[in-house]
Amino acid sequence: MGKYVAKRLLYMLFVLAVMTFVLFFLYNLIPGDPARAEVEPMKHRLKPEEYQYRYEQARKRLGLDDPLIVRYGKWVRNLLKGDLGISKVYNKPVIEVLKPPLKVTVTVNIFVTIFSLGITIPLGIICAVKKNSKFDKVVQVFTIVGYSLPVFIFALLFIYAFAVKLRWFPVSGMKTPNFSGTPWEEFKDMMHHLTLPLIVLIIGSLGGMTRYVRAAMIDALSMDCIKTARAKGLSEKVVIYSHAWRNALLPVITLIIGWFMSIFSGSLVTETMFVLNGMGKIYIDALNNQDYNIALAIQLFYIVMAVLGNLIADLSYGIVDPRVRVNK
Amino acid sequence: MSSSQYSKAKENDKSKKSFTRLLFGKLFGGKKELSIFEEEQVQSPFRTVIRTFRDNKVSMTAFYTFLIMFLILTIGPMIKPIDLSFSETSQQNIAPGFDFLKFPKELNGKVQDIAIGPTFSLGVSTDGDLYIWGKTRVSRTIDIKAEVPKGMGKIVKVAAGFDHVLALNDQGEVFAWGSGRQMQTTIPDYIKSLNNIKDIEAGYQNSIILTEDGYIHYFGNAMNNDYNEFNEYQGQIKQVALTADAVIGLTFDGQVVYLGMMDNSYTKIPENMGNVIDIAATATTVAALNDQGQVFVWGNISTFSDGNEAQVVETDSRIIDIEGGRTHYTALTESGQVVAWGRNYYNQASVPKELSNVKIERIYTDFYQNYAIDENGNIHVWGLKGYLMGTDDIGRDIFTRLLNGGRMTITIGAVAVIISTIIGVIVGGISGYFGGKLDMVLQRISEMVASLPFLPFAMILSSLIGNAMSATQRVYFIMVVLGLLSWTGLQRLVRAQVLSVREQEYVTAARSLGIKKYNIVFRHILPNVISVILVDATLSFALSMLTESTLSFLGFGVQPPQPTWGNMLYGSNNSVVIQNYWWRWVFASIALSICVICVNLIGDGLRDAIDPKSHER
Repeated sequence: MGKYVAKRLLYMLFVLAVMTFVLFFLYNLIPGDPARAEVEPMKHRLKPEEYQYRYEQARKRLGLDDPLIVRYGKWVRNLLKGDLGISKVYNKPVIEVLKPPLKVTVTVNIFVTIFSLGITIPLGIICAVKKNSKFDKVVQVFTIVGYSLPVFIFALLFIYAFAVKLRWFPVSGMKTPNFSGTPWEEFKDMMHHLTLPLIVLIIGSLGGMTRYVRAAMIDALSMDCIKTARAKGLSEKVVIYSHAWRNALLPVITLIIGWFMSIFSGSLVTETMFVLNGMGKIYIDALNNQDYNIALAIQLFYIVMAVLGNLIADLSYGIVDPRVRVNK
Repeated sequence: MSSSQYSKAKENDKSKKSFTRLLFGKLFGGKKELSIFEEEQVQSPFRTVIRTFRDNKVSMTAFYTFLIMFLILTIGPMIKPIDLSFSETSQQNIAPGFDFLKFPKELNGKVQDIAIGPTFSLGVSTDGDLYIWGKTRVSRTIDIKAEVPKGMGKIVKVAAGFDHVLALNDQGEVFAWGSGRQMQTTIPDYIKSLNNIKDIEAGYQNSIILTEDGYIHYFGNAMNNDYNEFNEYQGQIKQVALTADAVIGLTFDGQVVYLGMMDNSYTKIPENMGNVIDIAATATTVAALNDQGQVFVWGNISTFSDGNEAQVVETDSRIIDIEGGRTHYTALTESGQVVAWGRNYYNQASVPKELSNVKIERIYTDFYQNYAIDENGNIHVWGLKGYLMGTDDIGRDIFTRLLNGGRMTITIGAVAVIISTIIGVIVGGISGYFGGKLDMVLQRISEMVASLPFLPFAMILSSLIGNAMSATQRVYFIMVVLGLLSWTGLQRLVRAQVLSVREQEYVTAARSLGIKKYNIVFRHILPNVISVILVDATLSFALSMLTESTLSFLGFGVQPPQPTWGNMLYGSNNSVVIQNYWWRWVFASIALSICVICVNLIGDGLRDAIDPKSHER
């Protein structure tokens, strides 16, 4: 197992290196010349030659004329130090700007994770066990609709129904303006605001996940070992939840991890529509305001999350399925 | 439910043959029941797939639905081509419906006066009753119909402006209601004391009262409209005409005069017009008619290809009356015939043929609607009836945009899928067949692309690279980005398939015959895995359309004015639009949903049809 983990870690570092290079490529696409931006305010006070001299000095100091690989090295070194640059809009270090939205996104996603896994896994298993029954067919229709509709249509419908027509929930925002009360009341107020986006996020993820769990479970149930288990006279419960489920777990883990990553992009739409101050919204705002330091930092965050997700998936394969670590 | 119970229930279910089931069976080719002595004909695998697919009623329904949508989206844009630069301020946020010209039957035969607004019309009967029809909600809060003042008495004249209405009763009292933001509905006190009001006019945020002794009283927006209250023609005016930003008068002695202060194209009044008997105005031009039946048009004449206001039509008899719409003129001749000229994009200048059989006595024209009253008092209408799916915030017809946007959405999805399929098949094929180091490298690259967060990455690319592009380039760019980021799933699938058939006999045979490796992969192995590719391409076609829509919805995909189903929803994300202008988001959402659901159902059905195990399941 140790060798396996080491191999995966090494591979992860390699992927990260390539990924950061891609990011660096994007970073270089940002329009504008930082050296020019630095000397531009002094332009009218300086003579042309002096201005040109200062400009070249600035270029040299910022290392803009260095070979690509040197600049990349410097950039990575800054990254490792935690220096992601300064946000143009907030005028603060990027890390500072990103802390509060990260908290919001994580809070939201913890709820979404618990609810969606709590619903989809049992539902998928029941559908697989009772496949082709009326119940299964109804669920199949709903899941197809569920994963065919984009999140923003769900959001529009829910806002129309529950916020505009019924007025049960506020249309957007995280909390009532100028609200103050005990922590419990504040929590209740926040949940009141978060209910609609949470429902939208959960419903948006139900369709695909239920189908996936169902397919994995059907595959597992059609294995020979299940027939053997049944032949042994084991109770149906043991067969399904112990024998079949364990075999279905492998693809389901891929799903959970993959979905963990995608929930960040999924919340791009939901956070923007409900004006939740999360990572997704700050990312879109940054792109709209051309605050590219923030956008790239979030991009980096997403990539790190994805690579970490892959690593976790690989490691958990190793734990769940002993064959994986033997083979590699 | 135990399995034996369950199978019994299923059998019961089968024996019930409802009418719908029979209908569907006939329509979509249900499977023929074979008796035990018959033998099923042996078929090629491809035919079996098609047959199994055809037996799947849900998928077949989805297939036909998609086919119909596809046909509509292919033919529709040819019939209703889109004008990307189009905008029309008078037609913003109009609800669906064709009731602009649906006048009440009671009005037929006793029309006293008709006034036409952008989306609504008012009629006064000879009994003095007021009727209002069309889309009367001129803004979120103002409904012309609901705000009619009470106790107006017997109405004799009405006038409709952009978003307000004037009415005159037989006592000479003026009433005004509708949007009053520019004081165009606030009647000054001195007007209330007038007892010789001859005519009322309403324009863009302004109202005009004309008295018998030739005086004009103006109230409303004085900034947008060029009008000089102390003009030298006060006391000589017989008639006024309003463009969208100016006031033109006709004096008692047949002279056309400009009643504003500025020097503009309206002031270039043609000379030697003779004795002018009628004037009319569109939004940007003025027309004058002299007693010889000659029409003169001047002002800012539009330069569109579909006709303009200056192309006066030749008539057999003398023109005696002229009326102006927003971009067209209609005229009545001595013999009771109606002619129209000008822009015709709402068919506002297409006089119906049946009008040539009757003698028309009066015509009313404004904006895009026309009413003609024949000698028996019957009302004939033509022009803009309304919109099937309403209009958006700059007055564009949503139905037209839906057709053209759908074509764009489907095209982008299809091209993206073609790109990703080509890459996926090539990479997967090579990787699976050759294996070794090449496989290793390709797989690592694929994993890296797969671990890029799809939507955010597409957004940052679109924002960094796409911003410098033209609208058309950007459409291609979106296709390429979607294609380049979504080939990894198919690649893995093809690779696995190739791996599984690589060691089969026919491949070994091909190899021993000395066939080139690339030919083995792409001409011998690939046809055997084509079904898997087809299924994946169908499903990722649905996904591509979804992604494009999401990107465009967030403002990072295809940019307006080029419509797609996604960016038609851009801007509808606030409670005002969601609540008040439901047609701006409902139709595009429905179209997109149906299309994606159908494609997904087709993909699902294909997968079931290809997978022989699916029947046992």
